[in-house]
Amino acid sequence: MNAVELTAVTKTYGRTRALDAVDLSFDRGVTGLLGPNGAGKTTLLRIVATSIAADRGGVRLLGRDPHGSHAELTGIRRELGYLPQELGYPGDMTAFGFVEYVAVLKEWNDRARRLREVRRVLELVGLGDLATKRVSKLSGGQRRRVALAQALLGDPRILVLDEPTTGLDPTQRADLRRTLSALGGHCAVLLSTHQTEDVAALCERVVVLAGGTVRFDGTVTDLVATAAGRVWLCDDPGPDALVSWRTGTGRHHVVGGTPPPGATATEPTLEDAYLLMLGADAVRAPA
Amino acid sequence: MTTTWHVHDDLLADYVAGRLDAIVGASVEQHVARCAECRASTTPLVDPLLLARGWDAVRDTVQSPAFPLPVRLARRCGLPEPTAVLLAAASSLRTAWVVGSFLALTFAALAVVLAGGQLLAPFLLVAPLVPVIGVAAAYGHHQDPLETLVVTAPYGRTRLILLRTLAVLASVLPFTVLLGLFLPGPAWLAAAWLGPAVALVPTLLALSSFVGPRVGVAVVALGWSAVVLFSLRGLPATWPVEATQQLVYLVLAAVSLVVLAARSSRDRRMGAVL
Amino acid sequence: MGSSSALADQDDTALVTLVADGDAAALEELYGRHAPWLVARLMRRCNDSDVVLDVVQDTFVTVWKDARRYRGTGEVAGWLWGIAFRRMVSRLRSRKDVVLLPEWDTVGRGHVPAAEDEVLLGVEYGDLAGALARLSPEFRSVVQACVLDGLTTKEAGKLLGVRQNTVKTRLHRAKAQLRGSLALPQEGWR
Repeated sequence: MNAVELTAVTKTYGRTRALDAVDLSFDRGVTGLLGPNGAGKTTLLRIVATSIAADRGGVRLLGRDPHGSHAELTGIRRELGYLPQELGYPGDMTAFGFVEYVAVLKEWNDRARRLREVRRVLELVGLGDLATKRVSKLSGGQRRRVALAQALLGDPRILVLDEPTTGLDPTQRADLRRTLSALGGHCAVLLSTHQTEDVAALCERVVVLAGGTVRFDGTVTDLVATAAGRVWLCDDPGPDALVSWRTGTGRHHVVGGTPPPGATATEPTLEDAYLLMLGADAVRAPA
Repeated sequence: MTTTWHVHDDLLADYVAGRLDAIVGASVEQHVARCAECRASTTPLVDPLLLARGWDAVRDTVQSPAFPLPVRLARRCGLPEPTAVLLAAASSLRTAWVVGSFLALTFAALAVVLAGGQLLAPFLLVAPLVPVIGVAAAYGHHQDPLETLVVTAPYGRTRLILLRTLAVLASVLPFTVLLGLFLPGPAWLAAAWLGPAVALVPTLLALSSFVGPRVGVAVVALGWSAVVLFSLRGLPATWPVEATQQLVYLVLAAVSLVVLAARSSRDRRMGAVL
Repeated sequence: MGSSSALADQDDTALVTLVADGDAAALEELYGRHAPWLVARLMRRCNDSDVVLDVVQDTFVTVWKDARRYRGTGEVAGWLWGIAFRRMVSRLRSRKDVVLLPEWDTVGRGHVPAAEDEVLLGVEYGDLAGALARLSPEFRSVVQACVLDGLTTKEAGKLLGVRQNTVKTRLHRAKAQLRGSLALPQEGWR
C-alpha cells in the first residue's frame, strides 16, 4: 500500500481542467513535480494535502479516504505536513510563536513536549538562533524556512512542499537536500519546483506535469536519458533548434533539432530533457 | 584600578559557600560586582544543574511568552493551555479590541441615561452589534494568513472559528449585561437586548458560510440598524426588543442554525463549513 | 547569526544591544556570565535556592523585555544586580522569616585569609571594613542597603521598615562616622 494513491483524479476550475484523469502513486522517498505554470502542480499538491477535494477520481492517503468520514480525514491530517505556496504571518509573531501556533493546531497539547518539538524543527531548518526574531524582520529565504519548519512538525508520513526552495541560496538548498533525504527514508515527500536543478539535487523520482496530464513518471536518470544524443555544443545554432543559448566558452548549447556541422555531442542535463519533453509548450511558457 | 588584584580561589569558594563573615564577604562581593574575571571564576563554584534549570525556564519564557491579560484571566478560570495559545493570537481578544468595545458600550449606555430613558436606541443599536462584529473579526483578517494551514490541520477550521466566537461572546456579554442594569426603564430591558444579540450571531455565521464574513457582517449590521432606526419613527422606544420581535429573532436564530447544520452535513467532505 | 565563539568575544554592553534586537543566543551568553555570581550574591541574602532561582529567572526575562532601556551607563553587572535585588526585595516583603541582609555580627567560619589577602583587602577599601564593623547595627543596615546593594533611600526605607527621612539621616551620619574613622592613621599600615 502506497502512502499516496491517486486514481483518475480530475479537477476543473470553471472551464479549465487543472487535472485530467491523473494516475499517480507515491511512497517513501523524495519525488519532484516539474511543470510550467498552470500545469496543475499546485492543484495536485493541494489535493494531496487535503486542502481541496478532487471533482472526480479516487484519492487514498495512508490507506484512508479523505472524502470519507471526518474522523478519517483528521486521521490523515495528523500525519501530514504541508508547505503552501504562499503563506502569511499574523501580526508581530516570532518564528517560534508561529511554529508553536501551528503545533497547537496539530494537537501538541502538552506544553513541555510542544516547546521541545518546536525547537527541534527550527534547528532542523537552521533557524535555532533566530527563533525569537519577528517573522517580519526575517529575509524571504528565512521565512520560507520557518514555513518549512511547521511542515516538519511531528515527523509526518506525507510531506507536501509547494516551492520549498524559493529564496534559498545554494548552501541552504544543500541543507534542505540533506534534511529531505534523511526524511525520505520513512516519509513520502512530494515537492514542486520551477527549477530543474532543484529536482536534480533533491529528488530521486520526477513527475513531469503539463496541461493537467502526466508526461513523465520515473527516475531522474531515466528522464535525463531521454535527451541522450539530442544535445550538443556548436559555434552557430541551427535554424531548427528547439532552444539554444550561449555558454561561457562562447559556444552555443543547443537542444533539439538537427545538429549543424561541427557540433559536438554533450551530456544532457535534466533541464535539457525537460525542455525536449515539453517541446514548444515549455519554451513558450517557461517554468 | 582594580584590575591587578583578584580574589583568591579559596576565598571565593568560601564566599560562595557562605562561610565568610559579613565584613570580608561584603568586601569580596563589591569586588566581584566590578570584576569580570572574578565573576567568571565564580561560575564553576555554583551548582550547574541549578543554573541549567534556571536557563531552561528563561529560554521557555523568552521563546513562548506570557499570554495577554484577557487570556491570562481566562486561564485562571480554567481555560486549557493549548486553547489559550490559539486565542492569544486572535485579534479579537487583543486588549485594544476589548477596551474599544467596552468604551463603545459605555458611551451608548451613557447616551441612554442622559436622554432620561426616552431614547433607548443608542444602546439597543450598539449592544447586539458589538458581539456580532467581534465574531466577524474572529475569522481573522480577510484571507487569514494561516488559512491554508488551518484548513489542513487536525484541529479544524470550524472548531477554531467557533472557539473564537465563544471567546468574543464571553468577553463582551457579561459587561454588557452589567451596563444594561444601569439603564432607566423597565427591569427586563437589562437582558432584552440579549435576544437580538444571540440571534444575530448565528445569522452572521450562516450568512458568512455563503458570502464570507465581511459581506455577512455588513448585511447584519445594516439590517439591525434599519430595525432600530425604523423604531424611531413614532414607535415606543422598547419596540425592537418587545415580545413579538423577540419571537421573530428566535425564529431567525433557529433558521440560521438549521442552515448551518444542513451545510455542515453536506460539506462534510473537507470538514470546513464556515 | 552569532555563533557562540563570536558571542564570547563581545563585551556585556554589546550583548545587551544584541538582546534588545531579539537575539536569544546573546541572552544565553549573558546568563552564562552573570547568573552564577548573581545566585551566589542572592544566596547570601536568602537561603532558599528556589526563591533565588526564581528571582534570577525573572531578572533575565526582564532583561529580555527591557534591554532597550539600558542606557549603557554604568556596568551591566550593576544594572543586573539592581534588577535582581529589587525583585528579591519585593518577593520577600511578605516573608518575615527570611534573611535579607547578611549577619553582620557573626564571626566567619571560613578560613582566615592569608596576611597578604588581608592587606590587599585593606587596599581595596582603606580600612573601610574595620570602620564598618565599628558602626552601630542601624547604621550598618542603611549602608548595606544603600551603598552596597544600591537601593534608593525610599526603597531602603520600605525594606527596613523605617521612614525615608530616617534612612537619609542615618546614612548621612554613618558616612560622617566612616569618614572620621578613615581619617585616623591605621595600625599595621605603612
